[in-house]
Amino acid sequence: MSKSEKFWYLVIICLLLISIVVALMLGVTFIPFGQVIQSFANKNATQYTVLFDIRAPRIFASLLCGAMLAVAGALSQAAFRNHLADPSILGVTSAGELVVTVGSLLLPTFIGGKFLYSLIGGGIALLILTNRTILTSPYRLIIVGVALMLTFSGFQQLFSNGVGQASGSFNGITWTNSVGLLILGVSGMFVAVVISPWANYLKLAGEQLQTKGVSAQFMRLSLLLITVYLSAGVTSVVGTIPFVGIVVPNLARFLVGNDYTTLIPMSMLLGAWLLLVIDTVGRLIVLPSELSAAVLMTVVGGPFLIWMLQRKMLNGIQSSQF
Amino acid sequence: MEFNQVSFNYPAHAPVLHRISARIPSGKIISIIGPNGSGKSTILKLLAGILKPTSGEVLLNHRSVTDYSHKQLATQIAIVAQQNVIYDDMNVIDVIKTGRLAYHKLLDVISDEEVVKYLKQAHLTKLAKRSITSLSGGQQQRVWLASALAQQPDYLLLDEPTTYLDIHYQSELMAILNQLHRDSDMTIVLILHDVNQAFRLSDELWLIKDGQLVANDRPANCYDRQLLSSVFNTNIQIIEVPEYGRYIAEIPDSKF
Repeated sequence: MSKSEKFWYLVIICLLLISIVVALMLGVTFIPFGQVIQSFANKNATQYTVLFDIRAPRIFASLLCGAMLAVAGALSQAAFRNHLADPSILGVTSAGELVVTVGSLLLPTFIGGKFLYSLIGGGIALLILTNRTILTSPYRLIIVGVALMLTFSGFQQLFSNGVGQASGSFNGITWTNSVGLLILGVSGMFVAVVISPWANYLKLAGEQLQTKGVSAQFMRLSLLLITVYLSAGVTSVVGTIPFVGIVVPNLARFLVGNDYTTLIPMSMLLGAWLLLVIDTVGRLIVLPSELSAAVLMTVVGGPFLIWMLQRKMLNGIQSSQF
Repeated sequence: MEFNQVSFNYPAHAPVLHRISARIPSGKIISIIGPNGSGKSTILKLLAGILKPTSGEVLLNHRSVTDYSHKQLATQIAIVAQQNVIYDDMNVIDVIKTGRLAYHKLLDVISDEEVVKYLKQAHLTKLAKRSITSLSGGQQQRVWLASALAQQPDYLLLDEPTTYLDIHYQSELMAILNQLHRDSDMTIVLILHDVNQAFRLSDELWLIKDGQLVANDRPANCYDRQLLSSVFNTNIQIIEVPEYGRYIAEIPDSKF
């Protein structure tokens, strides 16, 4: 790892730690730093409940979801060879949400049901996207992806009319939800880090990889499976949070370069930090009410995407072919 | 390696290659020459196992190339394409490391030490940590060559390796290939655009026209004005150049 990479890792870890403490302090009632420490030490009844049962699981969940979505974005960008290929833009997450909604309406609930439904939905979206005609042009991929995303969310709204819950928000998250996320997130991200060199190999053309004795298809499929696994994990617990998977990996690329073995861990940290900040701001901005992380992420992510396209930061976008 | 009555055509298209039979002598440099579209690159792709013959067989150690797994083939045959695409960006040393993939499990970490030798062979030691897109065309071509060498192949295939290079880089690359040929018993099969380069460098020439192997022989036996004129469909003259020897020149029938 180069000196500048180490520097950015250090900066983001410090930012992350500071943001966690600040997020614990801020809320409807402000709890000063000293009291936060005291409450955890003495388990003081009222403040301890606010901190441990309300704020902590929410912070924990936003950190995990941010990291998971960012890693899913980085993997999907590598697999599609397209810096814009974020699961939320491609309709992978909204397909998940649609199947969750339909599944909950038609079938009885069971443990892990929501995750299974969003996994199925994401898989369907990917099946459509990996069609050869769609992959001939990187822009066609994005346009079809956006069309899928809008179609799936349209249907989702149709089915959820009246019975749906606020999507893309961390409001009301409990430790039970967070533990589920922890298991999915840690397992998915662990595999992502282990297979991150494959994301680098996929920068070579499929035919070339074949002459080097490895299968591009297999590596690409593995990256996409982890992409769906991670984004389905988030969708099943909090719904769709857009743009994390596009903003974060591209920022990470800007900071630490194109090597996925450093880019993926950096995306993880940066994604965790970004979503924590977004959720904390959302909690405070319209007190006593709040804005969902999804809404705020759209406000931040949309302009970022436009800026990215205008800066022509998409040097490699010409080839997305399998 | 050997071509045994090999024909090839893309589905619903006219034949690209027609019943080619020839042996590739081991440890030699073989150049394939012929006009554009005559099927030269197809020959190389068949040798590398990228394409499968429509009929006939390409044999490696008396076994059909199609019977080998990609991994087995990668340790025996390496190919450097005419133009190599890379999506995004990669360090020089990481591109070279991809040449070692066939010797490892897919999850293994390949160390820098393992590829130092190939960096040296392709004169890239100082550029190891540079990003490949920041290099000149000639330097990039050497990176792809080093990556192919890292496969430790018995057969090295190069598809017009000098086409996009200026004269300086062309002779630099030729010098590296010559050195390789002297230091190892590697068989090198190249497609060359420059006929004179092919005559000087090779132990054997394959002349291809319209998907057929018109001649395969030592360069000394191929200085045949009529043969070359018919292959390239133009008026070829062989002239004597002092301190160089025989030089093949195209003398167009009509002036522009």
